[in-house]
Amino acid sequence: MKATRLLFALFVVAVLGLNLVGCGAPATTAPPTSAPAPAQPTAAPAQPTAAPPKPTAVPPTATSAPPPTLVMVMNLDDVVTLDPDQAYETTNLMIHNSTYDTLVEFKAGDLTKVTPRLADKWEISPDGLNYTFTLHPGVKFASGNPVTAEDVRFSWTRLKNLKGNPSFYADVITTVQALNDTTVKVTLTDPSPAFLSIVAAPALSVLDSKLVKSKGGTDAADADKTDKAKDWLDQNSAGSGPFVQTSWKPKAEIVLEANPNSWRGKPKLGKVIIKHVADPTTALQMLQRGDADLVESLDPDLVEQAKADANLNVVIGQTLDQNYLAMTSSAALSKPLSDKRVRQAVALSIDYDGLIKALLRGYGSRAPSIIPLGVLGVDPKMTQGRDLTKAKALLKEAGYENGFTVELAYGSNPTRETIAAKIKNDLKEAGITANLKPMEQSVYLTDMRAQKLSMAFGGWTPDYLDPTMWTDYFSYADRGIAKRMLYNNPEAEKYAKIVGTELDLAKREQAIKDLQKVLMDDMAFTMLYQNQSIAAMSKSVKGFAYHPVNFVSFSDLSK
Amino acid sequence: MDLEGLPSETAMGLSGHIIRRLLLVIPMLIGVTLLTFVVSHLVPTNPIVIIVGEKALDKPDIVNAAIEKWGLDKSLPEQYLVYLWNLARGDLGTSFKTKRPVAQDLKDFLPATIELAFASMLFALVVGLPLGILAAIKSGSWVDHLSRLVSLLGASMPPFWSGLMVLFLFYYKLQILPGPGRIDTRLTAPPTATGLYLVDALLRGDTQAFGNSLQHLILPSIVLGWFTLALICRITRASLLEVLRMDYIRTARAKGLRERTVVLVHAMRNAFIPTLTVLGLAFAGLMTGAIMTETIFAWPGIGRYAVESAANLDYPAVLGTTLLIAVIYILVNLLVDILYGVLDPRIRE
Repeated sequence: MKATRLLFALFVVAVLGLNLVGCGAPATTAPPTSAPAPAQPTAAPAQPTAAPPKPTAVPPTATSAPPPTLVMVMNLDDVVTLDPDQAYETTNLMIHNSTYDTLVEFKAGDLTKVTPRLADKWEISPDGLNYTFTLHPGVKFASGNPVTAEDVRFSWTRLKNLKGNPSFYADVITTVQALNDTTVKVTLTDPSPAFLSIVAAPALSVLDSKLVKSKGGTDAADADKTDKAKDWLDQNSAGSGPFVQTSWKPKAEIVLEANPNSWRGKPKLGKVIIKHVADPTTALQMLQRGDADLVESLDPDLVEQAKADANLNVVIGQTLDQNYLAMTSSAALSKPLSDKRVRQAVALSIDYDGLIKALLRGYGSRAPSIIPLGVLGVDPKMTQGRDLTKAKALLKEAGYENGFTVELAYGSNPTRETIAAKIKNDLKEAGITANLKPMEQSVYLTDMRAQKLSMAFGGWTPDYLDPTMWTDYFSYADRGIAKRMLYNNPEAEKYAKIVGTELDLAKREQAIKDLQKVLMDDMAFTMLYQNQSIAAMSKSVKGFAYHPVNFVSFSDLSK
Repeated sequence: MDLEGLPSETAMGLSGHIIRRLLLVIPMLIGVTLLTFVVSHLVPTNPIVIIVGEKALDKPDIVNAAIEKWGLDKSLPEQYLVYLWNLARGDLGTSFKTKRPVAQDLKDFLPATIELAFASMLFALVVGLPLGILAAIKSGSWVDHLSRLVSLLGASMPPFWSGLMVLFLFYYKLQILPGPGRIDTRLTAPPTATGLYLVDALLRGDTQAFGNSLQHLILPSIVLGWFTLALICRITRASLLEVLRMDYIRTARAKGLRERTVVLVHAMRNAFIPTLTVLGLAFAGLMTGAIMTETIFAWPGIGRYAVESAANLDYPAVLGTTLLIAVIYILVNLLVDILYGVLDPRIRE
């Protein structure tokens, strides 16, 4: 049977051939894959010292090694545009913080203090309606164009007129005027102590108006129909930040390079490559093998493994993201829940510690009310945990000794299913029957807005770093979540109004403290948990400080 | 397999057949759009929430601009007709989520999928076909048992598991193959011409990028192609066994033909027809069903785009991907039909 033998030989060749492609290829082209991945980071800085001719050829400027490249892996699926005036997702905040400048900023570590960035100083008129910013003189965009007050006017007006998802940031602005090259005057609709926090949001980044206009951008009233700069801004940046964006491959990668015109000192990194990796285990493997230098958001399940690796550092940070449970105040929707004692009982029945341990391996925290840790005036010592005895006593007092039944609605996803099951079990122990009602997220939000839900839970993330992100949305009967859950208490509104209008910091802080007491007593909302961020990085990465809005500030990092 | 050798009448018949089949594509696609449109609108959801996000919902300006832009104030039949009209002009609409033309999104994500599908198919064919043939002619031997084992593994290991396992073993432990992604994290991808990294690298003469992206294809294509390999292997074995029992094979052997010629030329020509059927469907499946593999290997392909569009209820994107998938299936089936005719002239008549 010659043919059989020949066929067999063919098969062997095929299999071996395939294996050769598999194992052989790395051998022949060994340098690209296996070797450089782990070797490059260490080799890169070393090499130039061994090759001195360059420094002599290029005199004083390029004496040191070429700046290193940092590779970060994360999930990039949320990125849909990188035009700062149109993006309203999460990852873009980190990118824009590095490629653009805002007039003011919040530095990692202190989220209660606004610090200068493009603006050296600002004046607020006594009525709180006019803000006059003085720009730092002599700043240039990466393009070489000077940064002027006109660029600020253009950027903020474009943001407003594009009528995109982040346009609401500019709602409070009536007019922006460029008084001269370095002076911008902004008039607001109402006095707002939150305005500087809004100005610090990446949506209010300053764009190079000359460049953006040359790419079809416009700030005209009909910009939502006539602006053509989005495609260009998706692939490039037009800012003065420490980095410039050089490419974006959707769902694959974003590449930033150091801005040669960077005005706040040259970044220590020459290049930042952000790669999409969705699977957390694989992300950690890439870090351990040296294909990545930084994983910004590590899965809680993998923390121990990362900590056990001598080559890695793990840094825990406090986010401002939270999950909350909301209860209606309307007797028409739920007679029992309209009684605040019952709402308090529900809040006291939930085993928060157990939830945080089971779901987040303990990497979570809780604040006393819906206002998270890290915000002005929030004292973690006031936080109440589970107290079943007290919960049962409150139920008895309210006349629900034998419990009651309620429907618990939520936008379904795997995490929320776990939370829902936990809440259901915890409430059961207090005699309360919660019937779970998982819904498609957009339907959930629609029903919630229509004020149809008696008990619901979901997530909340701030758009900008001001207490009003919580005090407004969870206190005013005609706004946000309070409106959706029919919560109405004039006293809460009174304090929320002080937080929303008072420019004096001490008075603001006191109002937040008072408001928390009211919110805790009414218990229309209870915080389930506030996430912590877990970043893992190679030991060579220095300068990492977690920021709850910008996540990673690449200009602070070195390698 | 040379079409030139066919009598002109048959060639005419064949091209007529192809034209008829291509014309049939139009009503089929209209049917696909109608069905997808109806089904996706049966889901109770609010597209405005998806377009503008939770917090902008209270801003009438933004909501109205979105309603106008996506024509959501029109009745459903009207929306459908508008969609068809735009489709006729080659416009697949704008995605709710990415706010980009769906055609642009598809163009961006398709090349990665094509590259992976071809590599997987190649793997499945190069291993599956010889293995199937050997298993048939050496039926009952250890080769046969081996082929059964290989097929069983391929058919029973889900990619989300096998993907993680091969990464753990070959990337993390043994360190002989690269990790996820289409190219090493620190290497620059070749500039986009076709979007196929291998082709783009060759066009640029960038051998390093070529070699690297080739290595990056190995693990995902094995994980994705293994199931197809199992199919090809088993079907080839079964149909070859059947054909080898036929009279004309005995005649061929009696004529004193070499066994190689008997098996590869006489028997395989007939035995390949069922395999071809499976191949066509499997290839179309590889083009569209690689969601898990794409997720684990961070592969920016059409599978991930499709799943996210569905999860976000992004109708224009869902319709666009469904259409694309339908077109791929139709074209691949057409190709298979033509190949049938080449393999078996009786089918042409």
